[in-house]
Amino acid sequence: MFEFKFADIGEGIHEGVLLKWFVKEGDTIKEGDSLFLVETDKVNAEIPSPVDGKIDKLLAEVGDTIHVGNTVVIIDDGSGAGDITRGIEIKQEPLSEEEKGAGVVGEIEISSEVIESSDEGKQEEKEMKTKVLATPVARKLAKDLGIDINLVKGTGPAGRVMKEDLHEYKKKNEGIIESKYIKETNVFAQPLGDTFLKPEIKREEIKIYGEVERVPISRVRKTISENMVLSKSVIPHTSVMDDFDVTELVKLRTEQKNMAKEKGISLTYMPFIIKALTIALREFPVFNSSFDNIKDEIIYKKYYNIGIATDTPDGLMVPVIKEVDNKGILEIGKDIETIVEKARTKTISLEELYGGTFTITNYGALGSSYGVPVIRYPEVAILGIGKIDKKPVVLNDEIVIRHMMPVSLSIDHRIIDGGDAGRFLLRLKELLGNPMLLLLS
Amino acid sequence: MALLNNIGALTHALDKEMERDSSIIVYGEDVGYEGGVFRATVGLQEKYGKDRCFDTPLSEAAIVGTAIGAAINGLKPVVEIQFSGFVLPAVNQILAHAARMRNRSRGKYNLPMVIRMPYGGGIRALEHHSESLEAIFSHIPGLKVVIPSTPYDTKGLLLSAIRDPDPVIFMEPKRIYRAFKQEVPEEDYTVPIGKAKVVKKGSDITVVTWGALVREAQKAIEEVEKEGISAELIDLRTISPIDKETIIESVKKTGRFLVVHEAVKSFGAGAELISIVNEKAFLHLEAPPTRLAGFDITVPLPRGEHHFIIEPRQIAKKIRELVKF
Repeated sequence: MFEFKFADIGEGIHEGVLLKWFVKEGDTIKEGDSLFLVETDKVNAEIPSPVDGKIDKLLAEVGDTIHVGNTVVIIDDGSGAGDITRGIEIKQEPLSEEEKGAGVVGEIEISSEVIESSDEGKQEEKEMKTKVLATPVARKLAKDLGIDINLVKGTGPAGRVMKEDLHEYKKKNEGIIESKYIKETNVFAQPLGDTFLKPEIKREEIKIYGEVERVPISRVRKTISENMVLSKSVIPHTSVMDDFDVTELVKLRTEQKNMAKEKGISLTYMPFIIKALTIALREFPVFNSSFDNIKDEIIYKKYYNIGIATDTPDGLMVPVIKEVDNKGILEIGKDIETIVEKARTKTISLEELYGGTFTITNYGALGSSYGVPVIRYPEVAILGIGKIDKKPVVLNDEIVIRHMMPVSLSIDHRIIDGGDAGRFLLRLKELLGNPMLLLLS
Repeated sequence: MALLNNIGALTHALDKEMERDSSIIVYGEDVGYEGGVFRATVGLQEKYGKDRCFDTPLSEAAIVGTAIGAAINGLKPVVEIQFSGFVLPAVNQILAHAARMRNRSRGKYNLPMVIRMPYGGGIRALEHHSESLEAIFSHIPGLKVVIPSTPYDTKGLLLSAIRDPDPVIFMEPKRIYRAFKQEVPEEDYTVPIGKAKVVKKGSDITVVTWGALVREAQKAIEEVEKEGISAELIDLRTISPIDKETIIESVKKTGRFLVVHEAVKSFGAGAELISIVNEKAFLHLEAPPTRLAGFDITVPLPRGEHHFIIEPRQIAKKIRELVKF
């Protein structure tokens, strides 16, 4: 008996569908006669008999899937009987890694997936929107200078943008180079047309290790976040701190509180501090400036508008008291009340948020003593005020109880040195330590 | 119009052309009775007889040598080398004779012959079965080297190759012999040799590849497309002569260039393409023209082959790198 096994017919196939028997049990056949027709991927192969003999048994029916190695038909070739089993459904032993695909043609992917028809010869018009001509060196220079090279008119051969063109372009367009500059649309914008370098902010994936809730932030919060990043990325901060003895100021305020109340003003320490600041800013103009690092110039401002960092239900806002140098303490007090109220009730106009030259943040109002304030870009300094507390201090070699106010001054260290900061703080200390000076200055 | 895979397109094109032109003969190892190990010549012997479609001994030098003689004497042989890795015994015939015959005879003889060979890896085959040798032939003046990647192009390019008056090395990426189907028109048409195809238009980067990697590059491009990167994909189709015009035009538009090939990196076709881009599109470049190619090693046997094969994620990664350069 000869067991005819279905063999790999040479395409790396593993199985096929039996389409047709050319023989039936009892037929006499010769070597080379077709036994059956098998369909593999698109190839229908007639499988010839390797021996002469008589068909003893057909082990598969039309429509069966036959696997390589299955016995498909038993042929009586006169060699005697053996144990025969129907082997159609027997799975082959799994092959080892190295044996697999070791057929002469390897393992070819077979699929009837239809790909798009060719559009050969039907392609649309050429679009010749080419890039501006420039060497990679010039492109790199443009990138370094923050220039969009496509906006530069080239003077080289065939309009090539040369390195000189880029330098020329930069000179001409100082301060209005688009790609890396602030668009003045947020509540902190300066209406002065000043522009300053803005860093690119890298964003990284946040990994999460448990249940979370994602809440989109408000526009105000987004503005705060952008401005904080801008400030801390651009400005090299440093801070100096001191405790001011404001016992005299506390006394003065207590005496004048009722007088102010009659005028409808609730008198806080803030107007006094602002008044002192104005005096100090006049004496130290660099603290009332901005730094233009594109032109490498310091912009000294001849106007004094003080921002008050205000805690509102929506987040931090900084309304601005304008022209404090022309106002008295009570008037400043009234202004503060009005504007802070507007900020908290969202009735503030953009006008009232613009144009600050120096900012005060009063974390003392919330009970904190010490802080390291972040400068409000493009200002160059910010004054942080802590809570006024009675503290034991040494005065004339005696321990006495004094009203102390902790103060932090953050500065833009690019243009303000520690020495200036120290002197500025000392002057403020003097003014606030002896409030009579506020009236006399 | 029939839906055919790459093998079907080969058989169909050979059949049509043998019917049209009685000077065409097709032969090689197992090509006649068996119809070839990959079944590319199935039915041809039955239809055209043993004089026009026949088996040869294992004798690559003789297969090509006799084809040269036959071509000089007016026949148009289309011979099959069973695997491109087996072509080496015939390299003397191809390089020293076939490629030079027109020049050597000062134009008296030309050789209208095609040498077909399955090439490339990714199918866990035996030694000498997985190499990509297109650069070797492309380096030789007098030979054209063609690699189709779709059924439509397979038919169109094979007909061009058979009708070409000079020897054409016709390399078939066997990994995609049966991987997909495409509409192949019944009627006679050709795809010109030496003309690349813009498979997909894009504006940020030009990706050039051929053979089995066209499909992989398409997958990669779909992936980066989701990230907003617009890649232009070019199927080179002819390795020699290179269609400089299509490539340069594309790079002038995109400013970036990536060539991907399965063949080993050093001294490969990618280096040639990059040179062309540097010379002709230098002033448009936003990033260095780059190759993603096989390691400089013999293609590993099945257990390690996947380390060698270039996958879509690698192509996508390179595209991202160049666009962010």
